[in-house]
Amino acid sequence: MLFKKIFLFMLLSCFVGATVGQNIEQEANLKAAFIYNFTKYIDWQRYGHGTNFVIGVVGDSPILESLNEIANNGTINNKRIVVKAINKGSEINDCDILFIPKDSPFPLNYILQKAGPGVLTISEEPGYAEEGTAFNFVVINNRLKFEANLKAISSAGLKAGSQLLKLAIIVQ
Amino acid sequence: MQVFTSVVVFGIVFGVFIITDVNSYKQRKVNSMISIARVIGANSVSSIQFQDPEAAREMLEELHSVTPEIIHAAITNRDGQLFASYSKPGEKAIKIPTLLKRKAFAFKDLQLFVSNPIMSNKEIIGNVYLEVQLSELQQIKQYKYELAFILLFVALIFSFLIAMVVQSYISNRLLKLVNSMKKVGKTGEYTKPLEEDGKDEIATLIQAFNHLMEQIQESQRKKDEFIGIASHELKTPLTSIKGYIEMLNLLEKEQPKKQFVQKALGNVNKLERLVKDLLDVSKIQSGQLQLNMEEFNIDELLDETISAAQSLSGSHQIVREDHLDGEIVYGDRQRIEQVLLNLLSNAIKYSPGEKKVEVNSEKTEKELIIKIRDYGIGVPAEEQTNIFERFYRTKDISIHISGFGLGLYICRDIINRHYGKIWVESAGKGSIFYFSLPLKHSLTSQQTEALNP
Repeated sequence: MLFKKIFLFMLLSCFVGATVGQNIEQEANLKAAFIYNFTKYIDWQRYGHGTNFVIGVVGDSPILESLNEIANNGTINNKRIVVKAINKGSEINDCDILFIPKDSPFPLNYILQKAGPGVLTISEEPGYAEEGTAFNFVVINNRLKFEANLKAISSAGLKAGSQLLKLAIIVQ
Repeated sequence: MQVFTSVVVFGIVFGVFIITDVNSYKQRKVNSMISIARVIGANSVSSIQFQDPEAAREMLEELHSVTPEIIHAAITNRDGQLFASYSKPGEKAIKIPTLLKRKAFAFKDLQLFVSNPIMSNKEIIGNVYLEVQLSELQQIKQYKYELAFILLFVALIFSFLIAMVVQSYISNRLLKLVNSMKKVGKTGEYTKPLEEDGKDEIATLIQAFNHLMEQIQESQRKKDEFIGIASHELKTPLTSIKGYIEMLNLLEKEQPKKQFVQKALGNVNKLERLVKDLLDVSKIQSGQLQLNMEEFNIDELLDETISAAQSLSGSHQIVREDHLDGEIVYGDRQRIEQVLLNLLSNAIKYSPGEKKVEVNSEKTEKELIIKIRDYGIGVPAEEQTNIFERFYRTKDISIHISGFGLGLYICRDIINRHYGKIWVESAGKGSIFYFSLPLKHSLTSQQTEALNP
């Protein structure tokens, strides 16, 4: 009896796990798509001097796979997209977009300090937008939304289009 | 005919106008709605990209306050699924007509459907659908139809009036021409040419008519000239012949020679009368006939002429049935005698075999009327004015009438110059010839002056 219950439980959790796994993958794809679409409304004019458009991810995250897929199929601002996993603090400033995943190896303050002008910081942890990231993904009512920190955007020397901002939850 | 044509033409023109008007209105509506759809599309790109239907819906709702005729607005994503929509309160949910899948717009009943793709980076990421209520169109159509109707009615009236005016203008001129023709046909006189007004076909007709009249006048003139010359030339030798035969009549006492001479004399006299008539006619035509007016005893004259006519008639009996008692009238005695003799000889001529010819008279305050009645073949009603024309001879073949047919023409001229009237009436069997002579005191001063130049 007990054995059956345990077996059933394990089966269920497998399904759930699989579903959850699937959900996590979907969420990562969606966030990657969002990030790609963000670029259509953000002006890097003053800073984009490199030949490639670099998206850096600080730490490991399923979003790397999603971003790589986008990178293979498209361009941003007519530049080839390069997706980098960032492990060193010195590499942070070399990105155009810096994605800070949930379990990032570095503390937020450190990352923000290292990120200079021209770097668009995007996070996915509640409260991070207030702390200084430009955009922050949040899930509200099962829908993916994003917060925007106008001050952070402008201190990065970037401009965000109103069409984008009208959809964002403005934090500051 | 004119009215019908103009109504048809106007109807067509109005119809075309209305149709083009309505069509251009529709076109403008379509254009403006497509523009709106395009703007909506552009503004909803980010909403679609970031999957935020609420923002899109808010924008669609805004639309209603700006353009209340839009009753449905919907945005679909690239798979055709409904992303956001707005419906005017009270309306059923939107139903996108299938033909919009291929065309940009469609009219259905009183609704206009518009579809416009949403583009981002040359990619279609969704579609905007609008459903527009065209109540204004219905109003406009109605208004235009009413207006066209009224205008058509006004046009009808106008064209009718114009047609009437034009027609009367044309008719009047034609009638004038016809009247002139009738007059010429009746009197045989062409006094003055008709006025040639304008340059159109009617003026050409009048011109031709005038020209024709001129030619007739010319030929008549030539004829009259000939009559004058001929009668004059005939008269001279005739007088000579008459002279010698009269002499012979006096000298010759032996029969049958005397009979021969008398027969010849009678015919010469007849010939002389005919030539004299011709000469008179010629004088009348050339206006040379003059009257010698005097006061004379008509009573006496009647008796004289009756007895003169009686001696020529033979079998007929001419009776006088009135009493004038030495009545004095004012006129040319010789010419009145001529008239009386002519009428009496006609009465005899045209009643061969019948015995009686009655002479009567009637006096009114203004004039004296003489009547001469015969019991002969009479004058048919339709010829009663024609007999006074030149060269008129009876068409009745039952009797043979000699003469040129000038007698009555000369009589009429003489009587007219006296300001009297001469006419004939039928009387059962035969006819009664009347002529009137105005009494001296009833003539106006103008007339008296004319008679005595």
